[in-house]
Amino acid sequence: MRLEVGSFPVRSIAFGSATRWADGRLTVDKAAALAEVRRDGRIVTADLEIAVPGESVRIWPVRDVIEPRVKVEGPGQCYPGICGRDVTTVGQGRTHRLDGMGVVEVSSVNWHDAGGDFVETYLDMAGPFAAMYPYHRLQLLCLVVEPDPTLSDESRNDAVHGAALRLADHVARATVPLTPPGREVFALPPCDEPLPRVVYVWGVHSPQAMSGSLTAFCTATYGLTQLTPPWVLHPNEVLDGALTGPYRTAFAMSWTVANNPLLLDLCRRHGRDWNFLGVIVLRTEWTTQHEKQLAANQTAKTAAMLGAQGAVVTWDAGGNEFIEVVRTIQACERLGIKTVFLTSEDDATDGAPTMLEPLPEADAIVSTSFFKNVTLQVPDPGPVARVIGLPTKVIRRGSSVGLHGGADAALPTAGTLPPPGRYDDHYGFGSLSAIE
Amino acid sequence: MGMPVGMISAIYSFALTTGANRVVRGARIEHVCGDPGLGPEKDYAYGMRIVRAALHALTVPVTGPTLFDPHAGEAEEDAHAS
Repeated sequence: MRLEVGSFPVRSIAFGSATRWADGRLTVDKAAALAEVRRDGRIVTADLEIAVPGESVRIWPVRDVIEPRVKVEGPGQCYPGICGRDVTTVGQGRTHRLDGMGVVEVSSVNWHDAGGDFVETYLDMAGPFAAMYPYHRLQLLCLVVEPDPTLSDESRNDAVHGAALRLADHVARATVPLTPPGREVFALPPCDEPLPRVVYVWGVHSPQAMSGSLTAFCTATYGLTQLTPPWVLHPNEVLDGALTGPYRTAFAMSWTVANNPLLLDLCRRHGRDWNFLGVIVLRTEWTTQHEKQLAANQTAKTAAMLGAQGAVVTWDAGGNEFIEVVRTIQACERLGIKTVFLTSEDDATDGAPTMLEPLPEADAIVSTSFFKNVTLQVPDPGPVARVIGLPTKVIRRGSSVGLHGGADAALPTAGTLPPPGRYDDHYGFGSLSAIE
Repeated sequence: MGMPVGMISAIYSFALTTGANRVVRGARIEHVCGDPGLGPEKDYAYGMRIVRAALHALTVPVTGPTLFDPHAGEAEEDAHAS
């Protein structure tokens, strides 16, 4: 499977009379772009705004950040399957990407009808809080969108994410006739050298258990979010968006999945430092001990059948999902597959373990710091000059830091706000680490 | 001697590793003490079996984290959630 990825750097975005890319400048025909968004009759209001690095601006609520990618040659469609898109297997031919920008999905729509997981992410473009996330370096094209409020949350999720993807498609399509300034070929040719054979075990949350729905919106493999046995994906499929869509934290978004530095390094150093065999996607949040153990056993078995001698493991969730992830590590080690685990850590207050189930087999761990902003002692981001999105933010019980002692409150978005509860650098974008 | 405690948990390995002394195997994270999918009567019976196992666990001396399984030695007919 060979994929050529053509990169078009985006150094500025402006509205203009036609959507086009030239010399790092993306011009967006706002009317044409919004016409794409409104093709779905469930969309009630939609507008576009631009946020740039260093600007005193806050974007809230941020459901997803999407890197525009478009298939130029080869089968299928980028970001396949999700929101009813084509499910043709992707990963071959040529894909163009707009490098250095994101389409931001800004909407009040909650993740699923069962509630519980609330959208908590907001993004600043300046200041220390902004610098904790990769998005502050991007040119951001924000789609502020609301669907018909009478629809179910699931239908509203489908509507607003589908709209954001059509906007991403619209701007990415401007590059189709152009020659990419940057080109990189991704393939996993057979290794002649006897290099260590490595898989990437990529844990992603499933909303099935908590939503009670097989089709609730979340990070998806070809659009599916339900609890499924492990998936074997070629890394090129991920680069074409076969694994995409957001979960509840700022690091679990379409942009971070598509730009996962761990995946890119595994690809780029294939044939030199190791033999990268592929990605195993492990769905997490099984809800019995047996299911968790089974998911772990089968993931490890799949790695062994691929011939793995080593596995790097990440996850994008928290709480009980740790069990199937750490037991996958245990099961791999018991099959002779060495593992390295990339994870953030829990609060060690009062001597509690920083891992929910500290198994001895998980003995090679790269920490990406604490997963709670309160443990990280992140100061409350201060006032901003401009807000994109909603003018107030509800601070939910248990998620607030510093302000109002954890009680529910609605605060002006433009003022001082507590940071979202969770930090979770799932893929190692930042340089933080927990202290021993 | 303090008060004996029985902890009913669907993810019992976690309860055991965190040091709970008497851990009773529950059904599922969404419904620890029953299974609404069984219908009212069987759900009640299933829940009672788990609760009785928990009460029984309180009477058993233990020296460390110990798992009590409400399903042990019984037919699996009602144990859909396991």
